[in-house]
Amino acid sequence: MEKNNQHNNKNIKRELSLKKQEDYFLLNLLPIFSVLLGLLLSGLMMLLLGHNPLTVYSNMLNYAFRDIYNIADIFAKATPLILTGLAFGFAFRASLFNIGAQGQFYIGAVMAVGFALKLGSMPLLLTLFICFLMSMVGGSIWAAFIGYVKARFNANEFLVSMMLTYVAIAVMNFLLGGFLKETKGEYPQTDVIPDSGWLPSLIPHTRLHWGFVLALLVALIAYLILWKTSLGYKIRMVGYNRDAARYAGINVEQIFVIVFFISGAFAGIAGFTEVNGMQHMLIESFNPLIGAEGIGIAILGGAHPLGIVISAFLFGALKVGGNLVVQTSRIPASIIGIMEGLVILSVVFSYFIRNRLIILNSKKKLAVQERKDL
Amino acid sequence: MNIITGLLVATIRMSTPLMLGALGEVFVERTGVMNIAIEGIFLMGAWGGFVGAYLTGKLWMGLLFAMIVGILCGAVYGYFTVKLKQHQIVTGVAINILTVGLGLFLYQILFGIPLLPLTVEPLKDIAIPFLSDIPIIGSALFNQNILTYLAVVLIALGYWVLFKTPLGLIIRSTGENPEAVDVAGINVERIRFLAVLGSSALDGLAGAFYSIGFLGLYTNNIIGGRGWIAFAICFLGNWDPLGILIGSLIFGFAEGLSVTLLTSNFKLIPNEFLIALPYILTIVATIARRKFNVPAFLGKPYIKERG
Repeated sequence: MEKNNQHNNKNIKRELSLKKQEDYFLLNLLPIFSVLLGLLLSGLMMLLLGHNPLTVYSNMLNYAFRDIYNIADIFAKATPLILTGLAFGFAFRASLFNIGAQGQFYIGAVMAVGFALKLGSMPLLLTLFICFLMSMVGGSIWAAFIGYVKARFNANEFLVSMMLTYVAIAVMNFLLGGFLKETKGEYPQTDVIPDSGWLPSLIPHTRLHWGFVLALLVALIAYLILWKTSLGYKIRMVGYNRDAARYAGINVEQIFVIVFFISGAFAGIAGFTEVNGMQHMLIESFNPLIGAEGIGIAILGGAHPLGIVISAFLFGALKVGGNLVVQTSRIPASIIGIMEGLVILSVVFSYFIRNRLIILNSKKKLAVQERKDL
Repeated sequence: MNIITGLLVATIRMSTPLMLGALGEVFVERTGVMNIAIEGIFLMGAWGGFVGAYLTGKLWMGLLFAMIVGILCGAVYGYFTVKLKQHQIVTGVAINILTVGLGLFLYQILFGIPLLPLTVEPLKDIAIPFLSDIPIIGSALFNQNILTYLAVVLIALGYWVLFKTPLGLIIRSTGENPEAVDVAGINVERIRFLAVLGSSALDGLAGAFYSIGFLGLYTNNIIGGRGWIAFAICFLGNWDPLGILIGSLIFGFAEGLSVTLLTSNFKLIPNEFLIALPYILTIVATIARRKFNVPAFLGKPYIKERG
């Protein structure tokens, strides 16, 4: 049995490394082409509106990189996107679909704002640390429930994670209507959290805060877990072939719960960085698309932490440049969402091209091999 | 109108779009393809229905336009998943993200940003003579708008087609054993692509129900996850038109109950949780339902071997 396991592991390892060999330069450039294709298609939409896409795009670039404030803003906007992207990407590595990062994000945000408000001032960085911890735990437990019902009852994780988002929204709205409601009691939002709960800024006079560094660290941790630990090996094995993993003696059900637990932690932390770093309060239905954008970013980044970070930068730049273009021209703000959507769809298309190229390449190799054999 | 009748009316009304969406999903999943773009197509259908009705002043034009918009979205989804054989969940999620932007964008292109939401006169209820006079249930069952009657008829028709006709046999076989269908000389890809288009047309209609079926306006969060609920009902109803009829009524009841309680003076349960009721019910049902009759090739692309 033991021997069998090792043999199986070796086989899977060999297959994984084979896959790597076939990667080559052009394939790695495909995401860039697909981003350009997505922007090209969005440009057509702008043409329909009677705007010159070239001017719009050059304005966007100019705005996004105009000064240090805007450049810093790109990374500030990218911060939660990195985290929700990791939330989807991490689960995706196990062939699990956590499309409920939005809900886990809200739970994290509620925890962060709740503890920041109710704890009041505490010495050192204690408030920040507790907020961080509780938002992470909140997101984790919220998501671990999905993993648990998947493991225990074989419930469709895709549906449960989606539905839980709406439940999370209800929980958040309920708390904003009472327990956490601002003292003025006018709008469904909280008071501004005390200074001790503010993440210090990274570059003075910009909105970039230390949450950005935290997000990068989390991405690094995600990478280390997935590729440098035995847990990560098991996770990827479950993703690669669930049945084979089970035969190899891996407790697949346990992996489901662990993956969702970790994935939810990432999304929960995004709530922390948004509340304590950016907004400093909680407003009803804020950042309503952060989960969906995270999915897009994870797909664009090939579910790899480095790819996710880079893709989040791209989306951050689209947001900063896009917002300013929208404010200074008559293009509707929703064009930003369209650009994001078309970019993601183009990436899916590039997967098709990628497979075609790989098949073509191996056919070529095969032909060469056959000629040699003759 | 007493509270029970009111609840029944709301139940039937709210279950109508779920019936339409879930019925389409049953057909497409029976051929082996999950239409995960359903939430986005609901939204585009709501948009299409409103725009068609607002611009022409005719509600039936709205319904027609909603179906056309639905089919267009379905064509994109079908092209990616059936022809290019890309991952269905990934493609579906991409389309859902796109439609959120698209719905708002196209609305703003046409109407700018109006101070008050634009409205149309919603579909009128059609009372069936005599039957609608039955006490308590009469006005719930026999005084609804055209889409509700259509949904019920389509479910009956769908059941007959799926289980009693050669076409139904082909559809079911495509999901259970695509190779056999292929060997019989039937084009698997074509069947699946057409099924995606058909289900998307129904999704478009379902979406239009939310915009012009009773509200008479379009907002970008008008669907709010109801597409996903229809998707869930297809699972929970065991890929059977009769199962989804029951499922849709249960979810329609949850939504009707939440709407009825929201508008009444009942304050025992916070509003937010009443709103969350259908979603919680979906989770409970997804967990409780254990035995599924999943089409064998659901979600798996069919790749024809080439010599």
